[in-house]
Amino acid sequence: MNNYLIVAGIIFCIGALGVLMRKNLIIVFMSLELMFNAANLGFVAVSNRLNLISGDVFVIFVMVVAAAEAAVALGIIVAFYREKGTVDMDKANELKN
Amino acid sequence: MHNIMPVIYGLNSLEKSMVSIIPEAVIILFAFIVLFLTFFEKIAKGKNSYYLSLIGIAFSILYVVMLSGRNLTGFYGSVVFNGYDVFLFIAILLSGFLTVLVSKDYIENFDVPYPEYYSIILFGISAMMFLVSSNNLIMVFISLEFMSICAYILTGYIRGNTRSTEAALKYLILGTFASAFLIFGSVFIYAAVGHLNLNSIHSYLESISYVKHGSAPVISGMGEYLSIGLLLFTVGLAFKMSLFPFHAWTPDAYDGAPTPITSFMATGIKVAAFAIFLRIYILIYNFNVINFNDILWVLAVLSMTFGNIAAILSSNIKRLLAYSSIAQAGYILVGIIGGGFYGYSGTLFYLFAYIFMTAGAFAVVIIFENSDIISLDIKKYSGVGYKYPFISAAMAFFMLSLAGIPVTGGFMGKFYVFSAAVKSGYYWLVFIALLNSAFAAYYYIKIIVKMYMPDKEDSSVSYIAPEGKDFGIVNGNISEGIMLAVIICLFFTLIMGVYPQLFINFANYSAASLCKI
Repeated sequence: MNNYLIVAGIIFCIGALGVLMRKNLIIVFMSLELMFNAANLGFVAVSNRLNLISGDVFVIFVMVVAAAEAAVALGIIVAFYREKGTVDMDKANELKN
Repeated sequence: MHNIMPVIYGLNSLEKSMVSIIPEAVIILFAFIVLFLTFFEKIAKGKNSYYLSLIGIAFSILYVVMLSGRNLTGFYGSVVFNGYDVFLFIAILLSGFLTVLVSKDYIENFDVPYPEYYSIILFGISAMMFLVSSNNLIMVFISLEFMSICAYILTGYIRGNTRSTEAALKYLILGTFASAFLIFGSVFIYAAVGHLNLNSIHSYLESISYVKHGSAPVISGMGEYLSIGLLLFTVGLAFKMSLFPFHAWTPDAYDGAPTPITSFMATGIKVAAFAIFLRIYILIYNFNVINFNDILWVLAVLSMTFGNIAAILSSNIKRLLAYSSIAQAGYILVGIIGGGFYGYSGTLFYLFAYIFMTAGAFAVVIIFENSDIISLDIKKYSGVGYKYPFISAAMAFFMLSLAGIPVTGGFMGKFYVFSAAVKSGYYWLVFIALLNSAFAAYYYIKIIVKMYMPDKEDSSVSYIAPEGKDFGIVNGNISEGIMLAVIICLFFTLIMGVYPQLFINFANYSAASLCKI
């Protein structure tokens, strides 16, 4: 279980770094999905080790929520692209103090 | 029919489960009805969706009142309904009611469909109610995401407006980032205790830890997991509560979103996030290898200080209120850190007062946006006190309440929260908080000064209210609904300041059922 959690932690960190460092919105969104899936991996591992089913149930729900989230996120990214003609995050700079 | 029903296994428990979510179910039902209005073009263009949403929220409040006093559990312990939920349901439903009331004037300025807008607000309200009443980590995650997704859509609702889209984008990325931390935290909590139900986690931790409230590790190896899990979980929730290091989205999302939605985010979402944080805090946080109060202490101090400094520097009223809401989150956290029965009831009281003063301030901002002032720049407010006497007086009152001047709800809230923290011995925290509130009064009062004491060289200011209009409403674009919202907020803010006994009793009742678990 420990090893699985370490792998999940590494994947999670890769995803977090991707969100923080990449500028392309699609890649940022992919990194977010990576973070969600790292948690899924952890849940499956723990659930298997403890011989419980509730962790697997959680995974199903996380996947459903991630799908819903993807629909909204891609919609917003498309709206952004229509307005700016790019998916570069640095172009989102209109709101300032 | 009645003979058959108990025979089918589980139906009886399903019926019981359904009773525990009646208030949410009513809201969801109305959300669907409003959504179906889109099919009928003639009806959709009218005000039907607006009135239907108000009726739905009123019905839900009615059901909450009817169910109050009961202790209900449903769906295998995932959803609970007790006194704590009654208080917060009413707070959230009122904040939703105010949001719908102030929305009509604003949304009619734009070429966007109305029914979907109201229906998503209703879905958002139901998600907040589910979040408050959830008693399972799965439920917490789903309702938190449901609430956030509604908020993302509403933030970017005004299509073609680059500011609105950009706000939605920033909110979406950081909000999802936070949710990822939240579920990754749940993994570690699950690994440590093997339960997802909050009550089961609580009883499990109680059964294996011999020193309650102490620093004894729960089990060797697992105590660390619990700490990591709770740390990540706290990060996830702190994003939603917009505490300092995790506040980055707040000013941008609040600034770019449609103003009624800003009000919704500042009141409903924040209250729901604090409510679930408080429930989890009481159930789980006490058993730990790290003392979480120290971490929360730092978060509270940083939030207050940063929020106030940034608010002083901002010249846009929506950004100012956003930073002020970060600072207010810090004050509310003081009550949770202070802890104990009075700390929790003080926190709930403060949350209730906070809804009305913030929603009122945003309602006034919307009225000004719809009148001839248009701009959100505070400089443009110079002299409006003479032009719109009633509205400006209301704004001044909300600002005084946010600053924590006596005779307002904000003062009583701060009083209860800080006195609970003093009782628990957090002298330095309360000292810093008091210093901060004194400091914060500067920018709240700056707005009042701007409204009533215009610059000398500003010749456009007239000192006479336009005649023939009630309450100083000049523009015909301001409806009764928004005025009603301002009056409701004024009423509650004043009553909570003058006669807090009524509300503190209610908060005590709520906190009692929270601590009993």
